Amino acid sequence: MTTLKINGKQHKIDVEPDTPLLWALRDNVNLTGTKYGCGIQQCGACTVLIGKRPVRSCGITVGEVAGKDITTIEGLSPETRHPVQKAWIAEQVPQCGYCQSGQIMAAVSLLERKPNPTDKDIDRGMLNLCRCGTYTRVRKAIHRAAEMMKEVS
Amino acid sequence: MKNSNMKRRTFLKVTTVAGGGLLVGCSFSSPKLMSTPQASKEELGMWVRINTDNKITLILPSSEMGQQVHTGQAMLVAEELEADWKTIQVVTAHVNEEFKRSSSGGPHHSSSQGTGGSSSIMGWWEKLRHVGASTREMLIEAAAQKWGVSVSECEAKNGSIHHLSSDRKLSYGQLASTAGKLSPPDNPTLKNPAQYRFLGKSMPKLHTPSIVNGTAQYGIDVRRPGMLFAAVRQSPVFGGQLKSYDEAAAKAVTGVEAVVPIPRGRFAFGSTGDGIAVVADTTWNAQKGLEAMDVKFVGGDTLGLNSSKVSEKLKSSLNDMGKVDVQAVKVLEVEYEVPFLHHATMEPLNCTADVSTDSCRVWVPSQKQDDCMEAAKEVTGLSQDKIQIHTMMMGGSFGRKSTKEYVKQALIISKFIQKPVQVIWSREEDTQHGTYRPASMSRFQIGLGKDGKPIQWENQIAQQSSKMLNQVPPLRWFNFDPMTYPASVHDGIIFNLPKKHFYKVEGVKMSHTPVDFGVPVGSWRSPPNIINVFYTESVMDELAHLAEIDPLEYRIKFITESPKHKAVLEQVAKQAGWGTPLPEGHGRGIAINDWFPLDEDVTVVAQVAEVSITNRGKLKVHRVDCVVDCGLAVNPDSVKAQMEGSIIMGMSAAMFEEITIEKGQVEQSNFDDYRIAKLRDAPEINVTIVESEASPTGVGEPGVSPIVPALTNAIFAATGKRIRKLPIGRQKLV
Repeated sequence: MTTLKINGKQHKIDVEPDTPLLWALRDNVNLTGTKYGCGIQQCGACTVLIGKRPVRSCGITVGEVAGKDITTIEGLSPETRHPVQKAWIAEQVPQCGYCQSGQIMAAVSLLERKPNPTDKDIDRGMLNLCRCGTYTRVRKAIHRAAEMMKEVS
Repeated sequence: MKNSNMKRRTFLKVTTVAGGGLLVGCSFSSPKLMSTPQASKEELGMWVRINTDNKITLILPSSEMGQQVHTGQAMLVAEELEADWKTIQVVTAHVNEEFKRSSSGGPHHSSSQGTGGSSSIMGWWEKLRHVGASTREMLIEAAAQKWGVSVSECEAKNGSIHHLSSDRKLSYGQLASTAGKLSPPDNPTLKNPAQYRFLGKSMPKLHTPSIVNGTAQYGIDVRRPGMLFAAVRQSPVFGGQLKSYDEAAAKAVTGVEAVVPIPRGRFAFGSTGDGIAVVADTTWNAQKGLEAMDVKFVGGDTLGLNSSKVSEKLKSSLNDMGKVDVQAVKVLEVEYEVPFLHHATMEPLNCTADVSTDSCRVWVPSQKQDDCMEAAKEVTGLSQDKIQIHTMMMGGSFGRKSTKEYVKQALIISKFIQKPVQVIWSREEDTQHGTYRPASMSRFQIGLGKDGKPIQWENQIAQQSSKMLNQVPPLRWFNFDPMTYPASVHDGIIFNLPKKHFYKVEGVKMSHTPVDFGVPVGSWRSPPNIINVFYTESVMDELAHLAEIDPLEYRIKFITESPKHKAVLEQVAKQAGWGTPLPEGHGRGIAINDWFPLDEDVTVVAQVAEVSITNRGKLKVHRVDCVVDCGLAVNPDSVKAQMEGSIIMGMSAAMFEEITIEKGQVEQSNFDDYRIAKLRDAPEINVTIVESEASPTGVGEPGVSPIVPALTNAIFAATGKRIRKLPIGRQKLV
């Protein structure tokens, strides 16, 4: 048995410690908002936060994250009140939406590190793939979220 | 628009059920079913269900894959229904005759239940508004009856009926039961555009909130009680056979419950080889079991094929058609080539099936519900009434999720284990078992007269024909693939097709040789234009430079009969500052496209790309301007989003993407070697939608193709280097 602390809640799961966090989240804990895209840390669809750090959950094992604070898209704000979610709605970013939970988690983390990101910071910090090509709106939404976060603080 | 076939009399049936509200279904497709007391809510409320609590469920005929068709179609119904937008929820329709249609006015589509061809708004434009208007009129009549007043004294507004001369009002939920007892009107009155509250205004997409909080359910997110997960491996050589596997080794892995061989299948798009599945309690354990099993395959249709052979075969097919002696003042003789492309949807193929001896349920991200039903009937032997197909949201499709091999796999496995199962293809399986955009080569020999206009235009194309077309009458009788003709600025009339190319060019002759490599090919967002428009718009640019005429001005010389095309081209040029000075090393390229090329009513898109190339040959796309005329833009923000996304996807294809073949199998396997555009590649994009009161035409595909030649034409303008072979990333730019 391994205990994972996900979105502030303890989950006891019976998996091999080498199981990637992605599959434990999806198949054992039933949190399907975190998506499988590539399995080799290339696409970012499975991005979650460990502490405040963005991590591609397909490339980290349950054994490595046991006891650590894991935040998934479901833990951000179910009522979509997080500034990044609000900015995503305001800019109408998603098309198919499949990569967007990963994009949003990566953006949350980027804004932690760079509260006033330049376009270059966003280019460097946002490496998640989007096949629908929502990139121009992702960029706008990150700038908008940065503004919203400033107003709050 | 040719929608006369939509205007059938009394096609609506309304019903109420105990405790329910107003259910609006239909009467002509299944009158027997409708009159049985056992008929379910799904069977009765085929289009609209209004609950007594005012919640309205719209049952929409098209699949959602990111094109925002659910929002667009909901707007059509809600507009005429005068619904309160906040009360609307949507589901994708189950399989029923009622939701079949000929997906556009042209001869190229047969009647089916599915989504494609950018035709979901234009094809359902009449019917969905008709459903909304009929329902509204019944609600008005119900209110008039209750109040004992004339219907002319009542007005529908934002989910309620108001009595004009008093302040009485009743909500749709309150009226639903009474309305359910009325007969639907024969000819409901549709609104005039001046009365629109939703259509033509940017409405927030219905699925956005559930996407940003992680609750949106895609095919891959389906969870059923007792469900198992399957990982599959298929012969990497197309059409290969299963040779050996170590079942015991797979079963020794924790959680593995079964090993299920999957027999090969022949489909419209080509042949799949044998496959094998490992079933386990989680996808991870299933994948581990598959790894442990040491599966080996042998043989196959593409054995020995590689990418140089593909190019050689295409080239020799061109040569077999023979060169022509072109006599003219100036002659252009060029060859173009494009590679196989993969869809690379972010959500890989997956399907969930629950097969028992007397029932079958399938949850699937699919563009083709008809084919899913056929697959279920074939595998289970059950009749249609025992089968339910639930269409899930798709994490991208672009044409890929219109096949049924992955559906059959889930059905075969679930039937074998008699439990619900979800099959997920790994990214590697997804990449190596695509239905690729065909590789293609085209030769142009064009002679120009003294005025710079072509007097002779010879064009040959070698590529795989779409096998799907061969199955669709009357196209199978053509000794020609009509999908190639727009590549040659041809008049469709020559091939008994109604449409003429917007460029009026003299002396056009073309030939096409279909070449079969055994590599599965299919529809890749905007077939055939994703190939043809690169050819025509590059060649037009080459001719302009040969004739020493500005590429914009040159194009306009041939657009003599289509003011719409001319206007779009001129508008995008103006927006992009065409002809104004640029920094050193920068260049602009222009291109135009219309969609669907065989239809009478088309969407016209023109784009201008501005690029620069560094001394070291690095390409940077700075800015793309885009003008689109799609008739009435039902949801302008969705139209804009489709253009933005199309530009990025087209850029990605032009700059980076290529599927290559070695030893009969696809060399690429994941996003590390099948590179797609990243955020840092995205340029500034400015989209303008032409104001129009014409009926809407499609927007999902037309924006993808023109960016490809717009980019290569811009590279030529910047460097003098003409790109005739894609991807650009494989070519030296300095």
